[in-house]
Amino acid sequence: MTNVNVNSVAKTYGATPVLADITTEFPEGSFTSLLGPSGSGKTTLLRIIAGFIKPDQGVVTIGSRDVTNIPVWGRNIGMMFQSYALFPHMTIAQNVAFGLERRGIKGAAARKEVDRALEMVRLPGFGNRMPKQLSGGQQQRVALARAIVIKPSVLLLDEPLSALDRRLRQEMQVELLRIQRESGLTTIFVTHDQEEALTLSDKVAILDKGRIVQMGAPETVYEKPLTRFAAEFLGDSNFLVGTVANGAVRLSDGTTVRSASPLPGNGTKVTLAVRPEKMSISAGNAEGNSLTARITTVIYAGPVLSYLLETKDGLPLKLFVQNRDGIVLKEGDSVTLNWSPEHTVCVVD
Amino acid sequence: MQNDNLTSASERGPSGPRVRRPLPSWVSTTALLMPTYGWLTLAVFLPLLTMLVFSFMAATPMGKAPIVFTLKQYRAFIDQPYLIGIAFTSLLIGFWTTFACAVLGFLAAVALARSTFGKTREMLLILILLPFWTNGLVRIFSWTMVLRENGFLDTIFHMVLPDAGSIGFLYTRYAVVVGLVHGYLPYMILTCYIALVTIDDAIIEAAASLGARWWTILFKIFVPMAAPGLISGAVLTFIPVIGSFMEPRILGGRVGVTMGTVIEDQFTQAFNWPLGASLSFTLLAVVLAIFGTFSGVLRRGTAA
Amino acid sequence: MRSLGRFYLIAVLVFLYTPILVMMAMGFNASPLYELPFSFSTRWYEALWNNSILLTAGMNSIVIAVITAVVATALGTMASVALSRGAFRGKSFLQIMLLPPIAIPWLITGTAMLIFFYWTGIGRGMHAIIIGHVALAIPYVVLVVGTGFRTIRADLEEAAMSLGSTPIHAFFSVTLPLLYPSILGAALFAFAVSLDQFVISYFLATPGFTTLPVQIYSSIRKGFTPEINAISTVLLLGSMTVILIFARFAKPGDTRDKR
Repeated sequence: MTNVNVNSVAKTYGATPVLADITTEFPEGSFTSLLGPSGSGKTTLLRIIAGFIKPDQGVVTIGSRDVTNIPVWGRNIGMMFQSYALFPHMTIAQNVAFGLERRGIKGAAARKEVDRALEMVRLPGFGNRMPKQLSGGQQQRVALARAIVIKPSVLLLDEPLSALDRRLRQEMQVELLRIQRESGLTTIFVTHDQEEALTLSDKVAILDKGRIVQMGAPETVYEKPLTRFAAEFLGDSNFLVGTVANGAVRLSDGTTVRSASPLPGNGTKVTLAVRPEKMSISAGNAEGNSLTARITTVIYAGPVLSYLLETKDGLPLKLFVQNRDGIVLKEGDSVTLNWSPEHTVCVVD
Repeated sequence: MQNDNLTSASERGPSGPRVRRPLPSWVSTTALLMPTYGWLTLAVFLPLLTMLVFSFMAATPMGKAPIVFTLKQYRAFIDQPYLIGIAFTSLLIGFWTTFACAVLGFLAAVALARSTFGKTREMLLILILLPFWTNGLVRIFSWTMVLRENGFLDTIFHMVLPDAGSIGFLYTRYAVVVGLVHGYLPYMILTCYIALVTIDDAIIEAAASLGARWWTILFKIFVPMAAPGLISGAVLTFIPVIGSFMEPRILGGRVGVTMGTVIEDQFTQAFNWPLGASLSFTLLAVVLAIFGTFSGVLRRGTAA
Repeated sequence: MRSLGRFYLIAVLVFLYTPILVMMAMGFNASPLYELPFSFSTRWYEALWNNSILLTAGMNSIVIAVITAVVATALGTMASVALSRGAFRGKSFLQIMLLPPIAIPWLITGTAMLIFFYWTGIGRGMHAIIIGHVALAIPYVVLVVGTGFRTIRADLEEAAMSLGSTPIHAFFSVTLPLLYPSILGAALFAFAVSLDQFVISYFLATPGFTTLPVQIYSSIRKGFTPEINAISTVLLLGSMTVILIFARFAKPGDTRDKR
């Protein structure tokens, strides 16, 4: 139950830099998600913290211990893998006891810990079964038990829920969160699923091309993305490009848009991002910003209706509307979109 | 939830404060590989080298006779022209065997891949491969039972035409080819099967939906896509066949003279080891040349 | 089309098994000259029991096969472990070096061994034959164990290491136990390869020490007698049994080229 620090960690394979100078902290007891597309370096970072990969430069500390030169088996971590990685030739109990045995805890004392861990993941009495007799979800819970029974300093999860189907996944997410809260383990969770990252984490770190693009609480990262990539990767965004003029932004068609974010000096080209669910179709200019556009496609997705629109200038826009009254608008309809400057974020390209 | 032993053990880490630096991996790798490759060097590579040296000797070194080095063994094809005929025979037998195996084997593999499923297919595969793993000598002997005068074939033949003489199949070149085909057919079937089985069903369905009949599918899809397997099977059949001496001797009798039997003779009858060595090495050169030519296909065909 | 395929396959099986079945049947025919009509008799098997030459040769073959299996499996498994553990310089070269024993016609390898062993004073006989058989069996062992290796997921050892295993401990507690079926299969394979091996044994045998296939060959050269049928049937059934047991450990599609 300690914090994790990485300082100036970088890794290059051949000519390709996979991780570029990462420095960040994972506070004690926190649940941090590393979110990003494939190739972003999130798994590499996790494996460097675990000790499977040695960084080309930089320092990794777990608690007060500099573990950069300590191999993975000496770091006292708990790890969960996408493919569960349960030892097929051992019983569940033997699997869970594996790490305990390495630490010199055997016999009755070990059995007690194993039973307790299995109860914690709600699989009491499963000790004598073999991994292949268990379902995917059960196997993953055993993997979790195996990782936490040794009371590691940090829990590292490498896309552990990707192999599960949707319902099972959601159940496991709840379990994972509960156990993490109960044990207070510092947890680092790699995923490419944004919903997962948002629902589980205290902090989300968005990675792109080997760099941490933005890191913060889910709400902060979602409501106030710093870059175009962050705005696009997490959720959807509409982008409006214009020039700064008198404290507002002038679009190419002359429309003025206001933003609550601090803006650079006059004449600078900026990109503004607005999330589709923050816009609405209502009469009047109450909210502050507005644009007229024509509906090109209607997408009926059940609880949400998505509209794809286009302005006179050909600017593509997206709108999400809660499905209260069914489909009210159709293709070709011209509407006025309204939104607040509070929801207009200035992002870096 | 705190267990003091566990906590302190955890904080210390499983190996304690001292973590033994592991041996550099090349040490363990070398240690693991040395016995095997040492053995292979002793048993295969050094012998081949020695044979090369021997091929340059004038006569088998015996007792205290001085060793004379010469190139004359390699001129054997010029000095003894009948060897050219024998070499040609060997190549011909090799060609026909490989051809027959390729055609028959490929079709069998197609039948296996497309006409059989699940347990039946597994069983058939095992049945087809089983003879391959048995003693070649015994198999060849079995063929003599069938082909000899008054053997199995003759018996059936005489049931139809009681007064005819023996088919006299044994001790002909055809018998040798039949025996060789029998020996290598299972292997060819296996390589072709492995290559065919990777062809996605969807491709064949797409072809059929575009109007292809079975011969189009066979020649325009199966053969080209399974070509690596077919070629590697053919190469790995042709090579042992041109060096075979059991089959020619037992099934071919006096007619069964091939490079293999000639080489064998040098070592067991004629006691002319240098000649045997040079002929062996010539054969080896041919083998390596073939491997070199087909190495690209072989790598894909055997999917290492 | 389906039934045509199946019919063809049956024809192939007939082609493959008829000679073998005929040979086995004639071993039970009373006539010493293979004359028909067929009258069942086990006299040739009884004669076999008294044929000390064939029995000794048979015993030699089995002993050699066992020794070959043990040695080749041990060496081959170690080599396979080293070759499976990721890339290093010269790895593909080493892998190619495993091919000559099985790719080069055994006639060439056999005669080369004969020359070398004579030249270096190793001589012929049981020890020479064992050296030769082990050299031939090792590539197959490496192949079979290597294939087994590939079915073991890499993250199992990683999981073990994350729980505190050193790489060596992870290998012995996780990977090796999972390899046992492959290792056993490889041993059976090596046993069968040695048992059936003729060419190399032929060149390295001495008048005082032969293996069963070599002895069968000598008998054939002297003339066909049903006793040969009997011993051939025994040898055939023996190796088929070993291979069938092996087939339980590995899927047929995995067995690669023997030559």
